[in-house]
Formats: sequence, structure tokens, C-alpha cells
Amino acid sequence: MKTTLLFAGSLMLSATTALAAPSCGANTGAAATGTPIKVGGIFGNAAPGDFSASTTAARAYFDCVNANGGIGGRPIEYLTENDQWNPELAAQAASKLLKDEKVVAIVGNGSFVEMAVNAPLYKEENVMAMASACAVSECFESSNIVSTNQGPLPSTVGAAQYMVEEQGAQNVSCIGLAIPNVGPWSCGAMEGYMAGKGLTGSSVLLNPASPDVNSALLESIASGADTILVNLPAGLAIAFLKAAEEQGLGDTYKWASSTPLYDRSVPEALGAYWDGKMFINAELTPWDKGGPDATNWLAVMDAYAPAEAARDTFSQSGYLSARFFTEAMLALDPAKLDDRAAVTDAIKAIKGATSDLLCGPYYVGEADRHMPNHAGTMVVVKGGGFETVRDCYEYDSPYFAPILEQEKALGLR
Amino acid sequence: MQITRSGLVGLILAALAILVLPMLAGGQWLKIFTSTTAFALAAMGAGFMYARLGMVSLAQVGLMGIGGWVTLRLNHAFNLPFEANLLIGAAMTSVLGMILALPALRMRGLYLALITLMVAGGLEIIFTAYQFPNGGDGFWGVGTSFSATMRRPFLGQTDAGFLRYALVVALLGFLLIEGHRRSASGRAWALIRRSEAAALASGVNVTLYKTWAFGLSGLLAGLGGGVLAGSLGLLDASTFRASESVLLFALVVVGGARFWLGAVITAVLYRVAPGLLNNWGVDADLALVFFGAALLHAVITAPDGLAGQIFGLFSKEAAHDRA
Repeated sequence: MKTTLLFAGSLMLSATTALAAPSCGANTGAAATGTPIKVGGIFGNAAPGDFSASTTAARAYFDCVNANGGIGGRPIEYLTENDQWNPELAAQAASKLLKDEKVVAIVGNGSFVEMAVNAPLYKEENVMAMASACAVSECFESSNIVSTNQGPLPSTVGAAQYMVEEQGAQNVSCIGLAIPNVGPWSCGAMEGYMAGKGLTGSSVLLNPASPDVNSALLESIASGADTILVNLPAGLAIAFLKAAEEQGLGDTYKWASSTPLYDRSVPEALGAYWDGKMFINAELTPWDKGGPDATNWLAVMDAYAPAEAARDTFSQSGYLSARFFTEAMLALDPAKLDDRAAVTDAIKAIKGATSDLLCGPYYVGEADRHMPNHAGTMVVVKGGGFETVRDCYEYDSPYFAPILEQEKALGLR
Repeated sequence: MQITRSGLVGLILAALAILVLPMLAGGQWLKIFTSTTAFALAAMGAGFMYARLGMVSLAQVGLMGIGGWVTLRLNHAFNLPFEANLLIGAAMTSVLGMILALPALRMRGLYLALITLMVAGGLEIIFTAYQFPNGGDGFWGVGTSFSATMRRPFLGQTDAGFLRYALVVALLGFLLIEGHRRSASGRAWALIRRSEAAALASGVNVTLYKTWAFGLSGLLAGLGGGVLAGSLGLLDASTFRASESVLLFALVVVGGARFWLGAVITAVLYRVAPGLLNNWGVDADLALVFFGAALLHAVITAPDGLAGQIFGLFSKEAAHDRA
């Protein structure tokens, strides 16, 4: 009897291990040994935030691909650069990757700065950037960048929409960064959404170099808002909410946030005070929703990323960008793997790719703007974790009209 | 006009840099060298004020921001060639430099430095609050959507061409300073530096020449800002913080304010050293530690900076080249 139980236990353990084993690329189990294929990635890590989760996850996935046959036996050499939120460094990083290293594609980028500086260069060099943690308008309004994440505009509009439709918000104050194509762009769209509904919206913008969260909080309160929507990098958002907690404002206002606060470490950092109070828009589906990609992403991260690496939306997004890129490369003629133009065409040909991490299909296409991901999920901070309060829903804003037209033309809608 | 030995070396090195550097540098280093050239222009302005008049300007990088702002604003507002935008940007920075000089004229030493530092702080706040033009509407020209294209000069369409263009602008900047040094202005500045009372007694218009120095320094900073704007296509307030102006001035002291080579060393330390550290995978902020040590070295053992030491090594005649 004891032996049978032990045997059954071993079987269950093996099954669990098998489930947790990552699956990547050709999944051959044999390490790739050929000439490396160079792929680049640029992330921003300095004040006011660390966006390296996307490139870390993309690197983990590429390492997994390399351990599983690579691309036709050739490993991916993933070269990453930190722009430190500095336009000069961002331009230098892109020049190094595109002109010196001659990468065939850029995958997993995450920055406030890089895309704004380099969008013209990407077009000029005919390279496609499959970004993952985009936060500026250029990510979504240029021909050679496509991002797997939504960026602050859809996430902010989506959060405001939920607060209006389900929490009765009438007057929303958006707290953003005073970077024109980030804070004013996304909070401005939220104001437009509120005005379209006959409601009130306003923005409070912080200096990213020296953000004063207390002043922002006071300005937000002075606006007469009933809902405060935090649209800041996670570290800064937590500091803002701590200031609100010190003032005892948790129950006086309704609270919402765009996606940066959807991070596993956030509920603990916020503490019990915010339990059930803080509603957060998740640009990708919740990590506990289950599904092949949700499981595989964590397995890849556990096997190939440092233990302390963030497991957040940007990490999911980096994983997915790397996965879609790898699949496009696997389908490409092996003779053209080093041909940047052929790789760009292969990426632009991606259409209708699906993942349980996304609410809709992923596509690229030949267009002047790209925003394949524009539907999300709302969660609330609950019991030291997150609880889904509204599953996949489309956002309601005139901003998405040209994107919906594109999807119709591609037969995706 | 007599060409000094160090001047001749400078001209030869400039010619070599203009011809060879853009051909040898890769994509990343083309960008780094262009930034270096832009900051060399600003450094020569700060160095010349310090060396010729003993005036400390801690607003030089902030003034670069003015030049960059005007260049970007004109680019997005009118269809003028890059040269016109650059020159108007530099001229407006120069005028602003002169205006800022007026209340500062009665100040010397520490107090003058503090006033310029406050100006740098004020500019930092303005840049952060209003940002840099990117093709949007209104006076500030800041749009929340896609940045408009920055037109580059005809001869500087590529990154290599633009570096060559920037180097020529920097060479002209050096020659402008050298021209001033050898003219009545240079003699007036030398007299003012020794004694304002003696200068007044000799009939030198101290107010005019001090203001002119601020204007010239502003012009060079404005040119540097315009070159940086042309290289990147857009600018960010973080580049022009007051702390950057202080750092640039500290490096001017390290490089050697009296010599053309000092401005080159300053800019190389300011932009090339962090680039090298980044390439080696070391945090570029470590450069600040080296800069601190270098400043101590300069203050203790090398009053003429690294450039003074280098010239001292190669030629005893270096002393004759000083003002």
C-alpha cells in the first residue's frame, strides 16, 4: 500500500514537473550551435522607473529557444542596451544595434524615451521593433514599431471606463508624468473619454526628474475629483498611494491605476490599507487565469530568468513579443534569416496570432500605426493578491477608430 | 597673423578629425562624437569666460538648452534651412546671455557663480514644465503625438556627414574665440581680469566687454544646443539640468580652461568616458567618481588642467600661448 502511494506520488510529481517544463520555439530539447542571429532590445532603467522586465523576459524566452533547437539550429544572440531614459543614450543604443551590430530586428523594447527618438531610424533602416513595454505615442503611431502591451493611453482610458461604468465615477483626476507623449497624451485621452460621456476629467502632471507626490495629491483633490486614477510607473505610483494613505484618503475617493501597478510585489508593497480599494487595469490577461502561455511564461521565467526578475505585465509582454518573433523566424526561409528586409516582411506578415495572455488577436501588417492590443482586464487588490473584477473588455474611445478599421481590412473583425 | 605651435597642432588635429573621424566611427560612436562636439562648444564658452575674465558660469548647459529650444522651434514653425535655425538659435542664446550678464556684472567670484547657478536652476524648471518643441501647436510647440521631422543641413544628412558638419562648426567656434583673444576685446578682457579699476582708468568699457563675453559664451552654448538638436531630432529636459552645468564647469577646470585642448578634453570626459563605460558594461555613473578624483587632481596639482600638463610635457613654449 505504502509502495503504491509512493508510486502515485512520484507520478504526480513527474506530471507537475512536466507541466512546468518550458516549451519554446522548435522545442527540440537540443541546444542550437550554429552562427548566431543577432536581435536587439532597448530598455530604460533609471529614475523614474525600471522597464527592463520586458527585455528580461524576452531574453529568458530566447535562451529557452536556444536550448531547444534555436531557429533552424542557429541560436538567437540577444543584445540589449539601457537608454537610462536619456535621448542621447537612446539614439546611441539604436545606432549601435542597427548600424554596428546589424541586428535583424528589435524585440522586447521597454522605455519612455527610446521609441520617440528612434522611430524615424527604425523606418529608415527598414527594421521592425516588436516592443513590449511601450509608454509613448510613437510606439503606437509609427510604421516600424508594434507593441504587445497597450501603453498608457488604452490602459488609462480602460481604467476610467471601468470606474465610470461599474463604480459610478463622475469626475476623474489622472496623475501622469509631464512627458508630452506620455502623461498629457494618455491623461488627455482619458479627459476626452470623460468629456464624451458628459463627465469631468482632469490631469495632474509630475516632473519626472523630481516628482512631488504630495503636491500632486493636493492638486488632484483640489480638482474636485471623486476618482483618482494613477498613471505612473509602479515605484512612483506606490509613493503616491502611500502619501494618500498618510492623509487617510483611501475611503474618501475611488482609486484606479493603469497597468504598471499590476505586479506581483505591489499588493504587499501597498499593504492591507488598499485591500479592495485599488482597481487596476491589466493590459494583458491576469497571470493566474491559466492557459498555455500563462503557464509557459512562468515556466520560462523560472527556468531562464533571475529569481528576482519581475513577473508583471511587461514581463508577460516581453515573453509574448519574443514568442511571436520566434514563430515568424521559424516560418521564414532559413536562407533569409540574416536578411533584415526579409525578417521585417515576415514580422509585418504576422496576422491573427493568438495567446491566452491577450484578449484579442495579435497582428502587425503594413500600416502607419499599430496597436493590436486594445482590450484588457480590470483587477482589484485583494487578500495580498489580485482578483479579476471585469474580464476582457474593449475600450470605448474614438482613438481606436482607425485601428478597428485596420482590423476590418485584415479580416480580423 | 602668427600661428602658435599649439594652434597649428589644433588645426591639424581638427582637419584630421573632420576628414577621418566620421569615416572610422561606427553608428554608436558617430552619435557619441557628435554629442561630444556639441558639448565642446559649450565647454569652450565656459572655459574662455573663466580663463580670460575669471568669471564662473554655471549655466552653460542650460544655455545650450535655449539654443536647442529655439533651433527646434524654428525648425517646426518655418521652412528655414538648418543653418538659419542654428544661427538664429545661437544669436538668441547670445542675447539672452547678455541680458543675464547685466545684473551679474557687479558680482564677482562666488556670488557671480551663484547667480549663474540660479539661472541654470530656473532654466531647468522652464524646460521641465514646458518641454522642448516637437512640432505641436502654440508658442511652446509641444504636441502629445508623433514628433515632427528635424531637418538637417544639406551636407549633414547622414550621421557621418552631420558629425563632420558639427566638427566644422566647433572649429569655427574655436577660431572665433581665438580671433577675439587677439583683438581689442582680448586685450580689454586681459586688463579686466587683472584689475577692473585699472581697466576703467585705461578707458576700457568694462560693462560692454563683460557683457560681450557673456554674449560670446552664450553664442557658443547656443550653437552646441542647436547641433545637439540636429543630431537627435528632439531634446529632453533631463539633458539640461543645473547639475549638468555644474559638472561641465568642473570638467572645464579638469580639462584646462586656458587651452583649446582643454575644451576638447572636457567634452571627451563628459561624453566619451560614459560611452566607453557603457560599452564595457560598467554603470556610466561611475564616471562621476573619476571626475571627482580628476577635479581634486586638477585643483591640487594642475591649475592649468590636463591640457596645461600635456602642453607642458611637449613644449616649454606652451607658456607663451597663454593669454
